[in-house]
Amino acid sequence: MSRAPALSRPVVGSVRPVDHAPGTRSGVHPDDAEIGRRFAAGEEQALAWAYERWGGQLHGMAVRAFGPGPDAEDVTQQVFIAAWTGRARFRPDDSPLPAWLVGICRHKIADAWARRDKQRREAEAALTEAQARPGGPVTAGVDTAATDRVLLLDELDHLGQPQRGIIELAFFEDLTHAQIAERTGLPLGTIKSHIRRTLERLRARLEVDGAALHA
Amino acid sequence: MQHSTPEQLALAALREPLPPEDAAHLERCDTCRAEVARLRRAPDLLSVPQLAAPGAAVPPPPRVWEAIAAATGVRTSPATDAPGTPELVAVPVPAAPDEAPGGTVSPLRRRRRPLLLAAAAAVAGAVVGAGAVAVVQSAGDDDETVATVALDLLPEASGVADVVVRDDGSRVLELDLDAPAPEDGSYYEVWVIDRSVQGMFPLGAVEPGTQSVELPDGLDLAEYPLLDVSVEPLDGDPTHSGVSVARGDLDA
Repeated sequence: MSRAPALSRPVVGSVRPVDHAPGTRSGVHPDDAEIGRRFAAGEEQALAWAYERWGGQLHGMAVRAFGPGPDAEDVTQQVFIAAWTGRARFRPDDSPLPAWLVGICRHKIADAWARRDKQRREAEAALTEAQARPGGPVTAGVDTAATDRVLLLDELDHLGQPQRGIIELAFFEDLTHAQIAERTGLPLGTIKSHIRRTLERLRARLEVDGAALHA
Repeated sequence: MQHSTPEQLALAALREPLPPEDAAHLERCDTCRAEVARLRRAPDLLSVPQLAAPGAAVPPPPRVWEAIAAATGVRTSPATDAPGTPELVAVPVPAAPDEAPGGTVSPLRRRRRPLLLAAAAAVAGAVVGAGAVAVVQSAGDDDETVATVALDLLPEASGVADVVVRDDGSRVLELDLDAPAPEDGSYYEVWVIDRSVQGMFPLGAVEPGTQSVELPDGLDLAEYPLLDVSVEPLDGDPTHSGVSVARGDLDA
């Protein structure tokens, strides 16, 4: 069987330097880690650099979720605004700035879904009252999926490393535990055990907080 | 009865293939299957294409930075109008030494990656796979083909679908699916899906080959423009399995 093309995505898991054209930007733009440190320190120029360097890919995520247009633009700008105003929570030593921004972007996408879901349910409730009509379109996540996603992303924020990186490779890069072991250099048994504990923790969060939220 | 280990059940929840003895046990054991189902909700909710690691960059329009600058009071500005497109690094896990590309890839897993590919292609504004998409007039009768879409997601599956409007205004999807016979215990199902990949509407089970699928009156294809063929396990769960083999865009 042929390989799934997407599995050939370049290795993630370490911050690779960005190649600048020699002699043009070098000396003007610091490397990613330096941007992260200056961002954490509140230097305004670091926000502009971060936008210049990662704004396109973050906007690409937003466009993938909402299509091009105001909704995606709103998500992208919210990511940078939230990152800047919340920069005290950014730990440059724990996580590269782009990875932190991607995490915020996931939150913003999930938040937007939850808002839409709420609006849709309110509209559907109004419609159902107006005309009790069975057999409407099956809608994925009509139950609690949108709010549960918000809960789960919040729980990921509370995971330490390497647990968080491992589960993100499984969820967001679609890697098998064997591929994650290969990628991280950690033993297979360690990966399996972290995956189990993290899934159990996420399940507990859903079953306890999720149930309370939806009660 | 010897139950599967919690670690194996967690891998099953991630839809990884299990060793044969665990897979066989899971078939028989309600307790273990129930555990997998409970563990599976989190990965199923989060392993969706929209939340996956970033892919192609899309330069945001200048007003996005203007809004950021206005909200933060930051007076600097990016050096270029459009942000650049360096690789965005998503996961802070120490990297292993260089791995040869493709050197460690497991057999293709039947997971969500096909959906990811489809989403990425949709962003590019392109129909997945080769083949013309056109509004064509079918020859010979009064039926009108209003949309033709090429389907191609996995290398081993492809297809072409036409939406044909009959004289009486009813619509039918003429689907020619070129795919291997589904594995035992599974079948193909055709769906229409909205752009957010949130809402979807099942149109029924299909088989490799040519067939006609009735489109319900009132189904708005503008609202559900993505045509999708999935592999569904015979598990009594009516929702999309998340495993698509072919997809195309009726709007493209």
